[in-house]
Amino acid sequence: MAIAEATPSVVAGAPLEPPARTWLRRLGIIVPAALIALVVLACFLGPLVLPIPEPTGGNILEAYLPAFSPGHILGTDPNGNDILSRILYGGRNSLIVAVGVTVVGQTIGGTFGALSAYFGGAADTLIMRVFDVFIAFPALVLIIAVAQSLGPSVTTAILALSFFGIPAVARVSRAATLSLREQPFMTAAKLCGTPWWRVLLRHIAPNIAPQLITFAMLGMGLIIVLEGALSFLGLGIPPPAPSWGNMIAEGQASLSATPMLVIWPSLALFITVLSFNLLGESLRSLWSAR
Amino acid sequence: MTAVAERQGYRGAWTQALRSPVSRLVVKRLLLAIPIMLGVTILSFWVVSLIPGNAAQALLGPEATPDQIHTMELQLGLDKPAYERYLDWLGHAVRGDLGTSPVSGQPVTPQLIDGLAVTSELLGLALIGALVLAVPVALGAAHRPGGLFDRLSIFVSMIGLSVANYVLALVLVLVFSVKLAMLPAIGFVPLSESVSGNLKSLILPAIAIGFPLFSIYTRFLRGDLVDQQQSQDYVVTAQAKGVDPWRVLVRHTLRNSSFGLIAVVGLNLGVLIGVTVIIEQIFALPGLGRLLLQAVSARDMVVIQACVVVFAVVTVLGNLAADLLQTVLDPRIRYGDR
Amino acid sequence: MRTKFQLMAALLAVVLGVAGLAACSQQGASSGGASPASAGPPQRGGHVTVLKDSSFDGSWPTGLDPATNATGGANIAQMAAIYGGLFQLTANPDGSGAKVEPYQAESYQYLDGGKTLKIKIRKGITFTDGTPLNAEAVRFNIQRDMDSPCSCRPLWLLAKNGIATEGDDTVVLRFKIPTASAVNNFPISNVNWVASPTALKQMGENKFRLTPVGAGPFKVVSDKLNSELVLQRNPSYFKQGLPYLDQLTFKAIGGDQAAYQALLAGQADAFEGMTTTPLLDQATKNSKLTVTSQPPTSPYVIQLNTKIAPFNDEKVRQAVYFATDFDAIAKGLFKGKYPVSQSFTAPGGLFYHQTVPGYRTYNLAEAKRLVQEVGGITVKLGTLGDYVARQVNIALQTQWRQAGINVTIEDYQLNTLVQQFNGGKWQAMLQTAGAWDPAAGVGVAFRFRSNSPFTGVKDTHLDGMLDQAAAELDSAKRDTLYTEAGKYISDKAYAPFGLAFAPANLAVKGVYGPGLTTKIPPMVVNPGILWDQVWRSGK
Repeated sequence: MAIAEATPSVVAGAPLEPPARTWLRRLGIIVPAALIALVVLACFLGPLVLPIPEPTGGNILEAYLPAFSPGHILGTDPNGNDILSRILYGGRNSLIVAVGVTVVGQTIGGTFGALSAYFGGAADTLIMRVFDVFIAFPALVLIIAVAQSLGPSVTTAILALSFFGIPAVARVSRAATLSLREQPFMTAAKLCGTPWWRVLLRHIAPNIAPQLITFAMLGMGLIIVLEGALSFLGLGIPPPAPSWGNMIAEGQASLSATPMLVIWPSLALFITVLSFNLLGESLRSLWSAR
Repeated sequence: MTAVAERQGYRGAWTQALRSPVSRLVVKRLLLAIPIMLGVTILSFWVVSLIPGNAAQALLGPEATPDQIHTMELQLGLDKPAYERYLDWLGHAVRGDLGTSPVSGQPVTPQLIDGLAVTSELLGLALIGALVLAVPVALGAAHRPGGLFDRLSIFVSMIGLSVANYVLALVLVLVFSVKLAMLPAIGFVPLSESVSGNLKSLILPAIAIGFPLFSIYTRFLRGDLVDQQQSQDYVVTAQAKGVDPWRVLVRHTLRNSSFGLIAVVGLNLGVLIGVTVIIEQIFALPGLGRLLLQAVSARDMVVIQACVVVFAVVTVLGNLAADLLQTVLDPRIRYGDR
Repeated sequence: MRTKFQLMAALLAVVLGVAGLAACSQQGASSGGASPASAGPPQRGGHVTVLKDSSFDGSWPTGLDPATNATGGANIAQMAAIYGGLFQLTANPDGSGAKVEPYQAESYQYLDGGKTLKIKIRKGITFTDGTPLNAEAVRFNIQRDMDSPCSCRPLWLLAKNGIATEGDDTVVLRFKIPTASAVNNFPISNVNWVASPTALKQMGENKFRLTPVGAGPFKVVSDKLNSELVLQRNPSYFKQGLPYLDQLTFKAIGGDQAAYQALLAGQADAFEGMTTTPLLDQATKNSKLTVTSQPPTSPYVIQLNTKIAPFNDEKVRQAVYFATDFDAIAKGLFKGKYPVSQSFTAPGGLFYHQTVPGYRTYNLAEAKRLVQEVGGITVKLGTLGDYVARQVNIALQTQWRQAGINVTIEDYQLNTLVQQFNGGKWQAMLQTAGAWDPAAGVGVAFRFRSNSPFTGVKDTHLDGMLDQAAAELDSAKRDTLYTEAGKYISDKAYAPFGLAFAPANLAVKGVYGPGLTTKIPPMVVNPGILWDQVWRSGK
């Protein structure tokens, strides 16, 4: 990624701080980053390493087992599937959706926002008005329409949620680019007749990357939550394939009798979202302190 | 004074008023809202047409034959091209007539008002509750940044930001309704029926919506207050003069920070409306969200369209109101570039 | 499976319902009171709030006019409370001896070997607007129902000018073919509900949908579509001393969990149609509630589309029979609460036999062998997506996969399900089949007769068997005919059957009523509660 190579030059030269604060700041990044790494490893590698059953195809005669049953640490669901296994595999789906939406949102929204600011004038007005329409439009209706016409799936969830992400990222990217517009290097680039895509990749992208990455981290958490909300409306990843959202939504149907069906996936969701938020916040204060 | 002079006087006043930056902004923003609203209604027409099925099925029941459905579609005018149906709808909508539902045969507006009453009461409670709590907490936190109370407030608001509101709703139901049986888990009691019943029926959903809001507001306000205290000259001056720091914080810093807070509140309205749909579903509240979901399952285009318009109006007006309030309250804000 | 799966079922068939033990007031009173022995004699007065699932019977998007209520099959309770009904299904408190009896009708008679049905209307019944419910009013209603584009009417083949009156008190229906099940069809279709023609004319159709006028035990006070229906005692009700309640309110609620909590919190007094197994267990243990499980009438069926691959191959169908273990599903998912059927009948309905000779039960080895023999099977298995049906589908997917069948499962909404059937490309669908009377409502013909839009079978021999059974007036002969049809379906491996499942009704202690705290077999989905005899103690 072009952004990555240029980033160090931007970050370099952070002001000197008292060691205690620096340490605290580092901790603020290391701890949530480690948690996220742990969640990712557990979800993607865990099932390969640990002796746990498949998330689907359980024995129906082992339905509704309580936690700490032999072979099922967190118990089983109404179909006799292992809940721990479903949480790990479900995490894969939730994370894939979150990454997918973030990539789509950052690429499309980020590009349009930056271009909008770079060109200014009528192009800017047009692009931002179109995004205004999307922001004013109840995203839920859009999501229902997309999910119902395409049928629920991981791809649909990514597509539907991207409608949330694109305009928001566009705004962030536009604001960040605007502040660059008067910088000497931009003027220089323009004077040299550098093509717009080159300016975008070489000059704008590295400089707005910190804002976008911060926004992406905060957005990841939000998207994981929204993916679950889709399941509540029956539009998320369809069972039996697990996702945290559909586990919570399905478990809700018998909340008072089997609360753990909701509590386990909710905990996983909460810890992951919290980690992304903490990381996003720490990055934000790191970059804004520069 | 002659009539002409009088009229000229009015005109003069008008032009003058129009020249003032505030009203220029108002007019500009209002004008800008029109294409956005048009765009939203066109988009919703198109988007809803993507959903498979239509109202004919809902009217005829599931065992209707394709022929019967086709006849009914002709009756409902669903065979007309989309732009024609849209213009037709728009013509009525600008005159305040949102149409009659082909499914229920009832005019949409009363249903919309009923739903809006519930949704706005819920949102109002959540918003006001969140603000009323967020301001003192942020003040307390900003009074001594890095202090115990500040740390605590960061901790709590981080939880609020990270908890999915549907999970929060379920946890609240589990604790306060199922285990403690203190509050109703579902349903809505109209204010006209019982004031305490009304509040009880809305308290859990309002918390589920309000707690994340409280967290957003607290974090934002606390950050802004701390920034100002550290950077603004007047604060430094006041502190040097030995003015009570609380007084400076509340009388001056808070006043300035409130502009930003208002913007955050206004910008958030659109997102909030989406949130209420799910919360209304969990708590079985007869609000707009439920009306919308029911309309989608019956493919009741007229009701869907009306709901979308209301949502869009609230979002656009929320942004507008936030903008305007900021201008009115904060003369420093210049709108040169925007 | 209340919810949409049933909605479909119910839409068509409507349940029956209603109410009241016609069996006459003397028997009625004792039967109502007999519910829980300790309840004592019924008391007059009080107010009861009944919850209904908003995704099924708690939705009435098209209003409550019988001619246009497209969800009339689901809204039996509301319709019965407002209109009463010409006929109703009654039963002993334990659910046995169920039969359709005249209610606002006084008697009926089949003539011409079942091609003519004469219905005598009770004298002296008036609508709540004071106008008489006479033969002309009934004729007007049935004609209007049959003319309505809404598919909520019964699928009768009426002769030309087939709806007529004879004198002031008799309505005559003439059919093209013998229709022995016509009377049993009443309680589950819109022709059972008689609306006041005068009120309809005065209000106009759109207003009438919202505040209909009938001659039932209650009249409408207020009606918020899909959310709340408030009813008040009808003082001029034709049964002396009834209804017991002063007020009856129906409220929509989002599912079993919410309903259960609302009952415990004292927000409501009864809930119709609980299906979620863990909640049922929990409710049964709760001393505040009476849980009444209804005798099931409508078993699950896995419809196979025998017109296209892969199920046009009988061996493939047999493989699916052998691979399906509904006993395990009944035990695991439903904790053994419901019996497994091998045909389109169930214990609560007519013509039930526990087993079908030669039915292919679970046999994994045989299933695997057949799958290998036909060179592998790939199947798409759908259902109307509600919680319980989805769980059953997931379990089926697991079982079939063990036999080497490649299964994907799919959830449909009502709209998309109908599209699937219209398109004819579907392969397998988990549905319910059968009804209290197999010839009525979502009966066997609905899922198996060639001309039904919802069949997977095209077999003229089976059509003949079903038609013959539906036309037969003698019930012993009908029993034989249906037993043969069930065996034929099993022999041809047209569709495996599963457990017959009926929802339970919950009531808080102190609220009683036939169908609510006693058993009445559901005509299709929910049992018809006899609202005029529901009462509560101590209030």
